[in-house]
Amino acid sequence: MRHYEIVFLVHPDQSEQVSAMIERYRNMIEGAQGQIHRLEDWGRRQLAYPINKIHKAHYVLMNIECGQESLDELENAFRFNDAVIRSLVLKRDEAITAASPLARDAREDEESESTNEKNSQNEKPVPAEKVEATDGVGEGTVKTEPPMEEGKPSDQPVPEEA
Amino acid sequence: MSHYFRRKKFCRFTAAGVDEIDYKDIATLKGYISESGKIIPSRNTGTKARYQRQLGRAIKLARYIALLPYSDQHG
Repeated sequence: MRHYEIVFLVHPDQSEQVSAMIERYRNMIEGAQGQIHRLEDWGRRQLAYPINKIHKAHYVLMNIECGQESLDELENAFRFNDAVIRSLVLKRDEAITAASPLARDAREDEESESTNEKNSQNEKPVPAEKVEATDGVGEGTVKTEPPMEEGKPSDQPVPEEA
Repeated sequence: MSHYFRRKKFCRFTAAGVDEIDYKDIATLKGYISESGKIIPSRNTGTKARYQRQLGRAIKLARYIALLPYSDQHG
């Protein structure tokens, strides 16, 4: 028995079938003495890029514990189900049960997703208010630092100091 | 060049004591990709090497399941 984390994307037209699919997979896993530790339905989300000319998909996240046979069975079910447009299976070390960051905001962006996603896109990685916390962090790298671009972290190369 | 005042860079993940960067946490990951969708190098962000590797992995996983774009001119 191993722990796996699975994300799969369902075609938005087949969104109603998601609960039936989850039920089917649950029977598949628990029928083989497996366990579902976390099950999250993120709902219909805007895709970051179109897949097969589809712009939205229904996301489901599962953290399961199962053997190789039921995992193979599950992957086969994904492959031969036309409603599943993409799936991701990761091996994990332990059961993860805490709610994922996406599950929390999955409710509100059901239909108004694109607006708040665009706004958070230009966030800079280094916010101004955390400057005083830097003292204990960088140990020896104080003096010779390459210049930091303030405005936008884009791709132009940073000139080195001579 | 070297006379400018420059804010010191620091690794946010080291400061926060992050255990593992989650590919599902797109709010965090979005701070480490450029407008065109590229991963920002750690020499610009100050991320420690250990976390920069995790970050790259997380961003690539998030791209695969279409949580993040591969490029700005639609993947």
